[in-house]
Amino acid sequence: METMQPLLKSGRTAWDRINMPVEEFHERVKKIRKEMKKEKIDLLLLYGNGFNEYGNYCYLSNHMIRLPQGGMVVVPTKGEVTMMFEGAARGLPSVRKMTWIDDVRPSGDVAAEFVKYLTEKKICPSVIGFAGLRRLMPYHQYQFLLDSLAGCKVIDSDHLLNEFRMVKSRTEVLQIRRTARIVAGVFDFVANTPFTEPTENVLEAAARREARLEGAEDFRMMILKPSEKNGAFRPTEERPIKSGDWMIIYVAVEFERYWAEAVRTFAVKESAFAEIQHETVKTLYENILQGMKIRKRMSQFYKETRAKIAKAKFEEISDYGMGQGIGLSVKELPLIAKEDRTILADGMCLSLRLGIRGKELGTIMIGDTIYLSKAGPEVVTR
Amino acid sequence: MSANIKMEKVIRLMNQKGLNGLLIYSRGVSNMLSPSYLQYLAEFRPMGPRNAAVVTKSGEVVLMVDPPWDSFRASSKTWIKDVHGGSDFVKDLVGLLRQLKLSGPVGVVASREMTFDVYTAIKKVVDVQKVDDILEEIAREKTERELEVIRKVARITDAGAEAFIRGVRVGVREYELVAELEYVMRAEGADDIFILMSSGKHNNEMHEPTDRRLREGDVIIGEISPGLEGQFMQLCRTVYLGKPSPVLHEKYDILLRALDASLAAMRTGASASVITSTMNQVIGEAGYGKYCGPPYMRSRGHGFGVGSIAPGAELTDKMQARLERHQVVAVHPNQYIPETGYLACGESVLVTDTGVERLSKTETKLYVKER
Repeated sequence: METMQPLLKSGRTAWDRINMPVEEFHERVKKIRKEMKKEKIDLLLLYGNGFNEYGNYCYLSNHMIRLPQGGMVVVPTKGEVTMMFEGAARGLPSVRKMTWIDDVRPSGDVAAEFVKYLTEKKICPSVIGFAGLRRLMPYHQYQFLLDSLAGCKVIDSDHLLNEFRMVKSRTEVLQIRRTARIVAGVFDFVANTPFTEPTENVLEAAARREARLEGAEDFRMMILKPSEKNGAFRPTEERPIKSGDWMIIYVAVEFERYWAEAVRTFAVKESAFAEIQHETVKTLYENILQGMKIRKRMSQFYKETRAKIAKAKFEEISDYGMGQGIGLSVKELPLIAKEDRTILADGMCLSLRLGIRGKELGTIMIGDTIYLSKAGPEVVTR
Repeated sequence: MSANIKMEKVIRLMNQKGLNGLLIYSRGVSNMLSPSYLQYLAEFRPMGPRNAAVVTKSGEVVLMVDPPWDSFRASSKTWIKDVHGGSDFVKDLVGLLRQLKLSGPVGVVASREMTFDVYTAIKKVVDVQKVDDILEEIAREKTERELEVIRKVARITDAGAEAFIRGVRVGVREYELVAELEYVMRAEGADDIFILMSSGKHNNEMHEPTDRRLREGDVIIGEISPGLEGQFMQLCRTVYLGKPSPVLHEKYDILLRALDASLAAMRTGASASVITSTMNQVIGEAGYGKYCGPPYMRSRGHGFGVGSIAPGAELTDKMQARLERHQVVAVHPNQYIPETGYLACGESVLVTDTGVERLSKTETKLYVKER
């Protein structure tokens, strides 16, 4: 789900090489090169930027840009992989601790740096694949690249990364499980901590601290108060939380580059947050979850889910989407949507959100990060 | 400045430049070093990756936000009456330009944040003129409300600095220390925080917090910068864990003197270059002239906010700008010194006609935490 982007990712910065061994990246490079060969791509550029869209760049480098700047990984068919990031040279020692790539180049502009790279390496590729550039790179840089590569054939290679990133390796699933544990811990903390006359900001600050102390690199929290006029998810504010308030809390955490998210609905009673555990809703959610099966198309799962909600005679809250893939981005492919024809596969990690309204029920949202395998769907945020 | 006055100024500058309209864009990032022009105009912090406000010469203003559901929050925050949440942002934006009958020269603010699809789509409808300076000029004058927010941010910064100094102890990890001060500042009302730090016997730079545990004999440096409603403040402090050597005191004293000398040279109308030149002179006279440039230091300071002095850039001894009344400037002689490593020392000040007003109440000194 969309959330407020931070000023800086100011949580724990680490590369635990046991959690994410360097061999994982070598394997990814191998897979990518195989596809490059199939598609006759001489050079592949993976671009990422900002706080939410570092996925493609990070997939090969393990590095993430912590400011709203760009980073790019250059993959030739053979030889050294190169990484470029927008930042000062004095940041190099920190950057090197986060990546296995030796050729790391700080720069004020990754597009200009790439053109320099081509000249320096005396490379004149005939086909260049762009992954993430058209969608994410600032226009002036993108246009500069197109102008500078006038003699080359530029092809869109987004699909190549999308396909690899959709199905997670065992190592990636373990990372998402670690993150999911932090998300679950945050909700346990909210549910088990007495707050004396809390404000929304104090609740958020305390939840954030819990996540940070567990190593969260990034933390996002949004709330929805159904009682508010035109109530929609929003960041917390300097407003009191009162006994009797009904509050839907969304939490997304990123730990060592990987995300997990969940949604819970709470009723505030005096100074405590009690999670709403409605049997009918739990049964519906479980029923929906069991419909998430490998080899099923996303569009089919979406259709079935909507039918189940309608059959239960609830009004669906569809504004925030039913869910999507999750991993190096909090929002990645596939989407649980009518138009998405992706076939659910063993190894996918997905976010599922159920938002419903009922006459006597009120407004309830529940959601989790799910690991899908041959054994079926597994909720990892509980 | 009320929204009406802001709009009057926007329209006057649009007319001066011969523009038929103005489009202010945001990719949803409001950073200390790249402030959001849209946030400044709309008084609403955008969230999603694509947002824009469109202004016509007759004073019509429309705000478009992404994701669509954020339009409820936007409507409750901004003074702009007409707020839309588009389901297809590019198509909706082009539709809006056509609906407002905008063609010919139209000013675009923050075009550098636009991606290829946004820029090429609007370019088909209007003649794009890049005019970031329109909002920068208006924003140069801080309003009473902005000053009020800045003073609140100053109190939050003090709370953060206090938590930083208090939290330094043997065994605590860098990220645990940051978690505490982030908690304190957010609970005090900061809507976001920018923190860089480092710990060790000999630091070379500041960075995001790592797993490292603080040890006896560490120098811990921190750059603490909370933000609220688009206003920021920054404080740089150094804490020594243990009993510091006389050399550390002596070298830190150079930074304190450099800071004081720079602040003494600042006032409305003074050249902004004096901040850096004065600082470098003091550090140079102490024998570290050759360290007054990269990679031994990064920046001597910077302004904050849209239209502030050197927004997003750094203070240099070559800059032409003059200091203006009520500018908020971070002044920091953060410096690598071979005997001690990188040390942090910095203040944020408000420029006045007679000098500067230090915004923080946290004492500027080398802090010592003995076991």
